[in-house]
Amino acid sequence: MVERNPILDTFTHALLIISLIALLIPFWIVFVAASHDFHTVNQVPMPLWPGSHFFENISTAWVQGNFSRVMLNSMIVAVGVTGGKILIASLSAFSIVYFNYRLRTLMFWLIFITLMLPLEVRIVPTYAVAADVLRPYREILNLFGLSIGLPEWNMLNSYSGLILPLIATATGTFLYRQFFLTVPDELTEAAKMDGSGPIRFFLEVLLPLSKTNMAALATIMFVWSWNQYLWPLLIITDQAHYATATMQLQKVVPGPVFGDPPIWNIAMASNLIVLTPPVLVTILLQRWFVRGLISTDK
Amino acid sequence: MKRLALLAMAATAFATGASAAERTKFEFWYGLTGDLGEVVANHCKLFNESQDKYEAICTGQGGYDKAEQNTIAAFRAKQHPTVVQIYDAGTVNFMLSGAIYPANKFAKDYNLDIDWSKYFPGIANYYATSKGEMWSFPYNSSTAVLYWNKDAWAKIGKDKAPATWAEFGEDLKALKAAGVDCGFAFDFDSWMNLEQFSAINGIPLATLENGYGGLGAEIAFNKTAFVDHMKDFKAWMDAGYARIQTNQTGKNLIQSFADGTCASTTSSIANHGTVHNTQVAGLNWDVAKLPVIDASKRTNSIVGGASLWVMEGKSKEEYEAAAAFLKYVTAPDTGEKYIAENTGYIPVTTAGFELLKSEGFYNDPKRSGRETAIESLTASDVTPLSRGIRLGNFTSIRAEVRSELEAAFAGQKTVEQAIDAAADRSNQILRRYEQTFKGKTLP
Amino acid sequence: MEKRATFSNLWLAAAFIAPQMLLIFTFFYWPTGEALYWAVSLEAPFGGSNEWVGWLNFQTVFSDPKYWDSVRVSLLFALSSTALSLGIAVLLALFVDRRLAGHQVYKFTFFLPYALAAPAVGLAFRFIFSPDAGFVSAVNRIWPGLWNPAFNGNDAFIMIVLAQAWMMVGYNFIFFLAALQSIPRTVSEAGAMDGAGVLRRMWDIQLPLITPTLFFLIVINITDSFVNSFGIVDITTGGGPARATEVMVYKIYFDGFRGKDYSLAAAQSIVLMLLIIALTFIQFRFIERRVHYS
Repeated sequence: MVERNPILDTFTHALLIISLIALLIPFWIVFVAASHDFHTVNQVPMPLWPGSHFFENISTAWVQGNFSRVMLNSMIVAVGVTGGKILIASLSAFSIVYFNYRLRTLMFWLIFITLMLPLEVRIVPTYAVAADVLRPYREILNLFGLSIGLPEWNMLNSYSGLILPLIATATGTFLYRQFFLTVPDELTEAAKMDGSGPIRFFLEVLLPLSKTNMAALATIMFVWSWNQYLWPLLIITDQAHYATATMQLQKVVPGPVFGDPPIWNIAMASNLIVLTPPVLVTILLQRWFVRGLISTDK
Repeated sequence: MKRLALLAMAATAFATGASAAERTKFEFWYGLTGDLGEVVANHCKLFNESQDKYEAICTGQGGYDKAEQNTIAAFRAKQHPTVVQIYDAGTVNFMLSGAIYPANKFAKDYNLDIDWSKYFPGIANYYATSKGEMWSFPYNSSTAVLYWNKDAWAKIGKDKAPATWAEFGEDLKALKAAGVDCGFAFDFDSWMNLEQFSAINGIPLATLENGYGGLGAEIAFNKTAFVDHMKDFKAWMDAGYARIQTNQTGKNLIQSFADGTCASTTSSIANHGTVHNTQVAGLNWDVAKLPVIDASKRTNSIVGGASLWVMEGKSKEEYEAAAAFLKYVTAPDTGEKYIAENTGYIPVTTAGFELLKSEGFYNDPKRSGRETAIESLTASDVTPLSRGIRLGNFTSIRAEVRSELEAAFAGQKTVEQAIDAAADRSNQILRRYEQTFKGKTLP
Repeated sequence: MEKRATFSNLWLAAAFIAPQMLLIFTFFYWPTGEALYWAVSLEAPFGGSNEWVGWLNFQTVFSDPKYWDSVRVSLLFALSSTALSLGIAVLLALFVDRRLAGHQVYKFTFFLPYALAAPAVGLAFRFIFSPDAGFVSAVNRIWPGLWNPAFNGNDAFIMIVLAQAWMMVGYNFIFFLAALQSIPRTVSEAGAMDGAGVLRRMWDIQLPLITPTLFFLIVINITDSFVNSFGIVDITTGGGPARATEVMVYKIYFDGFRGKDYSLAAAQSIVLMLLIIALTFIQFRFIERRVHYS
C-alpha cells in the first residue's frame, strides 16, 4: 500500500539519498585513497577522484599480505564459525524456549552473560586454555581425586583454535530465543496434537520458519568471524599457513613509536581487499533474507 | 566443515613435513611492523638460505607491545618462542621474569664467542644488569637526533644546527619572523622528550640511578629541568613557532618534516632512511645531535629500539639452532651491516661501525649524517644517569607522561601540574610493581 | 515470557543445550574464573609468584579518578552512539518501509558498514578524520585548527562516536525494517481508513509495534559499545588525547596487556561485567515488561 503525498515523498527521497551518500562516503574515500600514489594521497585537501595507481597499489598490498593464502583461511574460519554457531545456537535456544525445566532461566543467563566480557579483556587465560583445551577438565577431575589421563589438545595454530572459541558466545542463542518467542503457541499445540515429538517439531516446523533468521544470523556471523583481529593475531604464529585476512591489517597499521609514516595508499588498498568478501557476502545473503522477509509479507 | 578443516590441516602438515624434515627448527617472534617488519622477515630468510642445518620460523606479532604480550601469554601456556624481539620498555619485565636465558650465559654455553666490550657502552648498559652483564642481544638500535632543514636555517643566516635549547628557541623565533610557518614539529613521546633529554643533560629521571639500584626507585622528573623544557615547548607552540604532529593528526613528525611542512623535528635516527625515501624533491636537510642545556656538559644519549632475548625451557637442539641464528644476525657483516643498509638503525658495536666506515657506507650522500647517531651515543663516558632507565611497568609510566602532557598542551592544566600529576601516578605504578614482585631483586 | 506449550523430555533438552554449555564453559567461564582469581591477588606477568591481597585491587581501581573518567567516557559513548545509530536507523527504516521507488537499493546498502572489521573502520576513520591529511583536513584549510582529534578531546570523542554509530546503523536498520515489515498491512490500512496520515501512523501504530525490536537493539547496541569499542579506539585514538576517549574496555586492555598489570585489569573486568549485567537486568525488568509482544 503506497499512498502519494508529494511533499512527504520528496522529503523521503531527499532523506534517503543524503543518508545513502553519508553512509557510502567512507567507502569512497578508502577507494580513492587506494588509487593514488604516496604523495598525492597525503595532499591537503586530498583528491576526491580516483587516481591511476589503483591496480598497482592493490597488487602491492596483495603480495605484501599474502592474500592468496590468507583469504582461503579466512573463508574456512568464517564458514566454520557460521555453520557451528547456527547449529549450536538454534539447538540451545530450542532447549531454553521449548522445554520446561527449572534450570532454563539459569542456562539462559549463563549463555547471555558471555556477551558481556569481550575476549580482549580475558585473552591471556583464554589463550592458556586454547593451548591445552582439556586442562579445565583435568583439573576438575583432579579436584575429585580422579586421575584420568586426558590427552593434551593444543589448539594454537589450527583451524579449530580459530573456530571453536569464537562459537562460544551468545549472539546466536539470543537471536534465536527472541525469534522462537514470537512463534505462536498454537503451532506447538497443533504439533503435539499430531503426536510429533520435539525433534520433528524442531526440524519440520521451527527450522523452516526460521529460514530468514538463519540467513540473517549467517550474515552477521560470517562478517563477525571474518573481522576477528586480536584472537587470530595471538594464537596464530604459523602465519604462513594459518594467517587470516584481517590479521594482515597489522602490517599496514602505522607503527607504534619509531615506525614508518602511515603509507595511506597501501593501507587503504589492504583495507579494501580485507573488506571486500564480507561486503559481498552481506550483499548476497542480505538480499536473500530481505527477500525472505518480503515474501512472508501479507 | 570440521572434516574440511581436518583435511586442510593434514594437507599443510604433510606439505611442511616433507620439505624440511632434516632441519632443526626454532621460533623467533618479532615486533616490528610495516617495512621494518619486512626487513626482519627477510633477515630470517637470508639466515635460512645461508645454511641447511637450521630453520628459523619467524613471526611478526603486529607491534612491540603485542610481541611482549603474546610472548608472555605463550610462556604461561608453555608455547613460547625460543628467541623474541623485545622493546626497551619491556627489559625490566624480562629481567625479572625467570623466563629467560641470559644472553651472556647463553653465549658461553653455546660458544657464541661474543666480545661484549665491543658494544657501544650507551647500548650495552641499557640492556645490561646493574652489574654490567648483558642479558639480551642488541638488535635494531637507534638514538635520538635533530632533523633540520638547511634551507630554512639559511633564511636566518645560519648554516649550523643549534647546539643548545636556548639557541634553538632563538632560532625558532627568527624562523617565524623569516616567514617559516612551522619551525619545529614535536609530539609527546616520552622516549624523546623525557628520556633522551634527561640522559643527554645528565639529569635524573628517577632515584636510585634511574632504577638500576632497585625496585624502590621514585620518580624525580617533576623536579628537574624537564619541567622547564616542556614549558619552553608550550611557549613555542603558543607563539606559533612549533606544532604538534602525531600519527593521530594524520602526519607524524617525520612526514611533516619530509614534506617540508615543518623546518625541524626530533626523532629517531632510524627514520633517516624514511625521510630520504619520502621527502619532497629538493629538500635540503641534515641531522645533528640533539640540542642540550649547556653545550659543555653533554653526556651520551641512550639507545632506542629493541633487543633479542632467548627464552628458557627449550631443547638443546633448538638452542643450537638459535645460537646459529643469533650469531648470524648479530655479526658485523651479516647482521649489523644488513640492518644498517636496509633501515635507519645503527651498528651496535665498534666492529660493525668500523666495517661500515671502511666500506664507505657513510660516504653515500643518502646516508651522510648517520654517524651523528654514533657521536651522540658516545658523546661521553656512560654516567649513572645516562646508562638507561630501569623502571617497572615503564610502558604505563610513558603513557601517563604522554596523556598528562596532552592535557597540559590542550590547556586543561599547567605544565607543572601535569608533570606533577604524571609523577604522582607513576610513583603509584612503581609501588604496585614493587609489591607484585615482592621478594625479587633486580639483577 | 514463557511458552504455554512446551515439551518435557529433559534428556533431550539437556542434549540440545550441552554443546553450547561445554563450549562456553571451556572458553568463557574457565578463563574468566582464572581472571577472577587474579582480581584478588597480585599476578606477576610471567606467573609464578602470586600473592593474595583481598580487596586491594578494587580499592586501587575505585580510588583512581582516571578510572572514574573512563566510566564516564564509556557511559557517554554508549548513550550517544546508541542513541545516534538507533535514531538514524529507525528513521531510515520507517521511510524505506514506505516503499517509494528505489527502496530496494537502500535495503541492500545501508547494512554495508556493519560488514567491516573494527580495525578496518578505525583505519579508515583515522585517515578520513586526520587533521593533516585525508578528507576532513580540508576544513582546517578554511578554519585553521577547527578540527584536531589528536589535540582536542571532544573532537576525538566525536570521531569514535561517529565511527561506532556508522558501523551500527546498518545493523539496526535491518532489524527495524524486518520488524516493520512483519506488521500486518491491515493494521496500517485500518489506521489510514481512520484518516491518520503517514507520519501519524508511524508514530501511533508502527513505532509502538516495533518496541520489542527496539528493546533487543538497545541491549545489543549498549553492550556492543561497551565491549566492542576496543577495535575502533585502539586504532583511531589509542584512548587519547589526555584520555578523552579512554573507554573502560580500552583501559582494561591497556593496564593489563600493555602495562602487564593483570590483577588491576582483572578487577576492572569484573566491575565492567557487573555494570553490563546490571544494565541488562534493568532493561529486562523495566523495558521488556512494557513492550508489546505480538
